[in-house]
This record gives sequence, C-alpha cells and structure tokens, in this order.
Amino acid sequence: MSRPHLRRLGRLAPLALATALVLSGCAADSGSPATDDASPQPGGTLTFGRVASVTSFDLNNEITANNAFAIDKVFEPLVAFDSTGTIEPWLASDYAISDDGLTYTFTLRDGVTFSDGTAVTPADVVFSLQRHRQVEGPLPLEAPITDIAEGTEGTVVITLSAPYTPLLSELSGFSNGIFPADFGGKTEQEFFAAPVGTGPFVVSAWDPAGDLTFTANKNYWQEGKPYVDELVYKLIPDDTQLLQQLQAGQIDAIDEVPPANVADLQANDATRVVTQGSWEIEQVFFNTQDPHFADVNVRQAIAHALDRDGITAATTFDTAQKADALIPPTIEYSAADAGYALDHDLDAAKTALAASAYPDGFDTTLLIASGNSQRAQEAQIIQSALAEIGITVEIESIDIAAFRQRFFAYDFDLMINSGQSDAPDPDGLVSFQADPEGFSQSYWTHYTNDRVTALLEEGRTTPDGDARKDIYLEIQQILANDVPYIPLFYPSNVKASTSAVHDLTVLPNGSVRFQDAWIQK
Amino acid sequence: MTPAPARETTAVRSTGAYPVLRAAARALARVVPVAVGVVLAVFFLLRLVPGDPARMILGERATPESVAALRTRLGLDLPLPQQFADFAVRLLTHGDTGDSLVYGTSTRALILERAPVSLGIVALAVAVSVLVAVPLAVTAARHRDGIVDHLVRVIPTIGLGMPLFWVGLLLIIVFAVTLRWFPVGGIGTTPLDPLRSLVLPAVAVSFGLVPPLVRSLRAQLLEVMSADFVTTLTAAGLSERRVTYGHVLRNAALPTLTLLSVYVASLIGGTLVVEKVFGINGLGSLLFNAIGNRDFPVVQGIALYCAVLVVVVSLVVDVLVAWIDPRTRRGASGSTGRSW
Repeated sequence: MSRPHLRRLGRLAPLALATALVLSGCAADSGSPATDDASPQPGGTLTFGRVASVTSFDLNNEITANNAFAIDKVFEPLVAFDSTGTIEPWLASDYAISDDGLTYTFTLRDGVTFSDGTAVTPADVVFSLQRHRQVEGPLPLEAPITDIAEGTEGTVVITLSAPYTPLLSELSGFSNGIFPADFGGKTEQEFFAAPVGTGPFVVSAWDPAGDLTFTANKNYWQEGKPYVDELVYKLIPDDTQLLQQLQAGQIDAIDEVPPANVADLQANDATRVVTQGSWEIEQVFFNTQDPHFADVNVRQAIAHALDRDGITAATTFDTAQKADALIPPTIEYSAADAGYALDHDLDAAKTALAASAYPDGFDTTLLIASGNSQRAQEAQIIQSALAEIGITVEIESIDIAAFRQRFFAYDFDLMINSGQSDAPDPDGLVSFQADPEGFSQSYWTHYTNDRVTALLEEGRTTPDGDARKDIYLEIQQILANDVPYIPLFYPSNVKASTSAVHDLTVLPNGSVRFQDAWIQK
Repeated sequence: MTPAPARETTAVRSTGAYPVLRAAARALARVVPVAVGVVLAVFFLLRLVPGDPARMILGERATPESVAALRTRLGLDLPLPQQFADFAVRLLTHGDTGDSLVYGTSTRALILERAPVSLGIVALAVAVSVLVAVPLAVTAARHRDGIVDHLVRVIPTIGLGMPLFWVGLLLIIVFAVTLRWFPVGGIGTTPLDPLRSLVLPAVAVSFGLVPPLVRSLRAQLLEVMSADFVTTLTAAGLSERRVTYGHVLRNAALPTLTLLSVYVASLIGGTLVVEKVFGINGLGSLLFNAIGNRDFPVVQGIALYCAVLVVVVSLVVDVLVAWIDPRTRRGASGSTGRSW
C-alpha cells in the first residue's frame, strides 16, 4: 500500500475504535437499568401520574404546586434554578448588576420565540413583569422595584430603590414567566385558556378536573428538546393507585411515592426512583402567645426531648434527612452541618423544664391536619416523647380546611406543619418564619427577636458572599436556641418511573424538567 | 277451596284503578319537597362549617390580599341572603348550582362528566349481585337446613365483614397485578376499556350487597313456599322449577326488591371508597374533594343530584313492585285488569 493510503487508514483507526466503544456501550445498556450516558431517543408519549389536576395557567395568580408545575412547562423566566438550586441564565442569556446593586440589566437570548413562532422582545418581558406587579398575586415580587423598562439593544433594565440580593432568585420563580405583550391581542381569559409561552410544551387538551395533555413545542429554544412528542398529566388522586398503575405499566412516571414503598421500587428492575433534596422543612411550631410556650425554657426542654433521628427514620422510612437547622442544605447558607440544633438529651430536657415556670409538666394540645398518616405518626411519637418529661399532649386531628382556619386565628398550642421555600434564596423562607411584621407573624408563632429582624434586613441588602453567609448562620443559631419551632426533617422529592424513562430531572421545588426526559424504545 | 288470604307486603300501596300510574305520581310529588329540603340544608350547613374556599385554593403561604381578592372574585364576601338568591336563580334558570370554585367549570358539566362512571359501578354491582344472590337464595331455600343452605348463609356473611377497601385491594392484587385480566385502576381511553375497568370495582361492591339480598330472599322464599297456593300448583302438576321461578320468586321478590332499593340509594353518593381504591375519577371522589376544599357549588350540586336520584330510584322500585305484584295488576274492583 502507498503511504497516503496508510495515513488515511491511520486516521480512520481511532474513529473505528471510538465507534466500537460506543456501540459496545450501547449494547451493554439495553437490558440493565440504563445509565444516563445513553443518548436520548426522541419520540413517544410520557404519561405522568399526579394527585391533583391543573385548574389554571394564570401564572401571576397561582401559587400551588398542581398549577405551578404545569405553568412552568409553558412559561419560562429570565433566569432559572437547576436541581442544585443554582441560578443560571435562561431566557436572559446574560445579566449585569450595577456596583450599587440598584440596576439589573438583562440581555435577552437571541432567537428565542414563543411557541407560535413570534419573537420574544424586551416589550414582552416588561409587560409580563409589570402585569405581575399589578395583579397582587399570592406570590408577588417583594423586591423594591421602582421601574422595569426596555434598555438598549434587546435588554431589559430593572431598577430598585434599595439593594435587594434575592431579586434574581425571585425572578427565577414560575410566577415571573414571560408571555406575549398584550396577551398577543387576546383577552386575558382567552389567553390563559390557551396559553402561549416559550416553554418546552404546548397545551393541547385540558380538563381542569381531569387530565392535561401537552405536545412538544416545535420552536423550543433548547436544540433538540423536548425529546418526547407528548406529555400527559394524568389525574390519579390516590397515592396507592399511582404506585399500582406505575407497577402495572399503565403510566410511565409518578409525581409522588409513598415513603414505605420507595425501597421496593428501587429494588425492582422494572422501575426507577429519583430522589432529590427539597426545599421543605417539617416542623413543630409553638404558639409563643400560649403562657407555657412563651417561656423559652419550655421550648428548649421540648426540643431536647425529641429524637429527631428516630422520628425521621420511623415516619419517612429513611427517605428524608434529619433537620439540624431551619434552612435546608439545598438552599444557600444552610447551617445544617453547624451543629446548632439542640440535641436529643432527656436530662437536659428535664433540667430546662425545671428552670421554667412549669417544672412538674403541664397539659397541652398538638394540632395536626387529618388525612396525613405520616404526620399522625409524628404526632404520636412526639406525644410519647413529651410524656417522658411530664408534658401530657392531646392530639387534635381536624380536616385541613378547619385546620387552616384554626392556626390562621392563632388558635393552637403546638402544631405540626411544613415550612417551604419557593425560591433558591434563603431570604423568603427565613423572613416568612421569623419576621413578626410579615403577614404570618413568624409562621403564626408570634416570635419576635429584634436581632433577628435586624439581621433579616441586613441579609436582604448584603451581596452574596461570606458576609451574607455569616448573617444567615447567626440567624439560624439564634433560632436554634430560641426554638420558636423545631425543624424535624427535610422531606425529599421522590419521583418514580418505569426503567424505560431516562433523565427525569427533578428540581428542588418538586417540579420535573420534562424537556430533558426521554423514553427508551 | 279459596286461595289463602294474600299476605300484606309493605310493597302494596293500593289496589285502585291505574295503580302503577298512581304510584308514579305519588313518587314524583315526593321529589319536590325532598329537593327543596336538601338544597336549603346543604347550602346553609356548609357555610357553618369552618374553612375558607379561597384559602383552600391558594394555600397557606398566599398573601392575605390575594386571598381577599379571590373571595371577592368568587362572590364569597357577599351577604348570605344575596348569595342564596343568586344561587336559587341560577339553579332555576340553568339547572346548575354554580361554577366550581376550584375548577371554574359549571357544576352541572362536572356532574354529567363524572356521574356515568359512578352510576356504571352501581348498575354493574346491582347486576352482579342479583345474578349471584338469586340462584344462591333459591338453592338455599330448596335445600333448607341442608349443608348447601348452611354454606350459602355463612360464606357471603364473611364477605360482608370484610372492609370494602381491603376487598378492592385483594381483587387488584389477584386479578389485575397477578393475572392481568383487568387494569389496576383508572378508566382507560379506548371505548372498550370502561366496562373492563368497572368489573373489579363492581365485584368489590357486590361483596357487601349479596349477603343481605341472599338472606332476605331466602327468608321470603321459605315463607312463600309454605303457602297453600304453591301446594295447589304443585298438585296441579307444574314442575318444581316452574313453580319456583314462575310463581314463588315473583311473590318473594318484593320485599327484597325494596331492600335492594335502599342499598342502591346509599350507593348513589357512596362510591367514594371504591373509587379511591381503583383510581376512578367518579362522583364520589369529586364530592369528597369538594367537601375538603369547601367547594360549595359542587357539594350543593352533588347533594341535590343524589337526593333527586334516590327519589327516582324509589319511584322506579315502587313502579316495579306495583307491576310485579299480581294483586295490583288485577285491581281491587277487578274491572279493567290493566297492569299500569
């Protein structure tokens, strides 16, 4: 053979080797629970079982998960958070913050269109965000915004009256999605009955009391995505039925898994479980206006009396993580590893109680919402733990609407409930739970600590970095000692699917990025 | 020899002319006061229970301003007499108790969408139960105090003691998960699916229907079988089979039919448990969620629907009984012999 020929062969050899490797990798994948290095196959319908239906697409007026996680398939924000809670550019390809923290300039990504093909312009962004500010929705922009306007050359400029570090985090929420200016010429009602956004999916059939079918957005800006042709949100109100229909192969994936069944699904080759840290914190709350719980010694005694490891293991079947701080590890500046939480120590509990006005114990009531067997178990464990230090707890379990009425009226002594963050920044969560001026008055505990309130204000205006970290660590330390509430555990977001479904990307708020998902044939 | 005096059954209403038509007219006249009573009771009692629909729709973390705005949008902050007047007008002009606070769609549309499934479960359960109960009761009565009789009396009663959700889960495990004869849950999308999907739920419900039907029918059969006219017919040469199914059963069925109508009435709004277990989005689960969410229009609508339907069922049964009962067919004055 002539030399040039050899050289050509020489160049082909590595290619041939690489192809052989890839092919052998593919062969190894078919049959075993797939690694997600396998390359995505387009096509197919993904049926996702959920316990609640979608009742509205009006993103500025919604807050509950059943609607939020359909809305975020249709409308997208300027910036978004990924599964670790890190904020990344999304509809804005870039952003710049002025040195004084008062001016934010967002550059719109090139070539992004709405699902009907019309280009996204700064005017659409301005209209969308202004509309959100006007409607006074349940999840408003808290930032001190003075102006939102089109800037030069495809930019949008947001001006603040004071520095506000959580702004990007707020903008990443589903309620700040971008839609066409003037609703594309339709009325509000018409628009939200057939919403048009930049998101990976388009609504094709929608029963507000039943199933919702999406088709893939052909004009989606992420190349090649979504991989599936159709996404169906199927209404299955019972979580045992969710599990059974998944196991029978009637549906492809489910939105929640009863913790007791997680291990079984993981062990089964035909199903796959995805677990992701959430932004939720299961807590016991004290009404600090109650004479017993106004006394910090009593609260500390109760905190020492609880075995949070045991409660977590027993009630969540080890799917959740014990909480050692208010801020979960999935959010920045969590003190979960800092060791602030009062540990399980019966002697310390008795000592603290002895130092209070009720050394011989007392009677009290623990309020919970009925219909939640996990919470009922937590209540029983807490009841027996407190009995050991002389506190007699009566469990009051009432239907959830009545439960909400009760604690909103501050008519409770102790309650078990779930705190939650809607955003990656700690300010929203901590303010809701520790700001006595907020509408919840520190999550209905009436807890007031001037140092904490001052730190909250500082935290909002300090840019991200070590200084801000110290602020939130100090807040969590104070809260751990004052215990207006006792964080028990951080529940995980658990989704399950058949083994044919790949790349189910779960976000910390519980939403799934279905544009990444694909079905193996 | 004159036939033995007819036993008084509670099913006999009158022996005048056109007895069936009169039974129908009486039952229709019952619908109106029942419906009015139910509507009033549900409307006002619902609003006495603590719980705010707007707060249920928006959740705990929604700002008070947004909740207040939603209450206004839904008309919940209007004075109560005003709300009732609006509701009554809408009901009389559109036959609808209002738009669902949660779903936004009209309650009538929701009920029309979900009722067929729940009614299907009830109808199929009744059919299955009757098909099972009648032969069992007849066999038991014919072999009175024999081993068959004892088995028939004991075994179904065991089924009666099993909780419905447990029976349902067992059926799913055996027939859906293991044997794959039926789907695990839901209704399915192809035209043939609904019937297949309702079989297991109907069977689960019939576990609770069959025992009382068997006991009642067996007792009635035994009583009728000892009547003189049966002896006469047998002596006249009719086969036992013809006597039993042609004559005895017809007489014995009446009280059992009335008993069945009572059970059907309780099933009309009571399919919740079976719907939850089998993942069926029917009227029962709609009602349950509506109560939990304080979705007033939907609860009112379903309550009204159930009340009307129960009266209709009792009307149908009254007509059926009047038609089956040979004495009403003949008429007291014996003149026209019309059976309706």
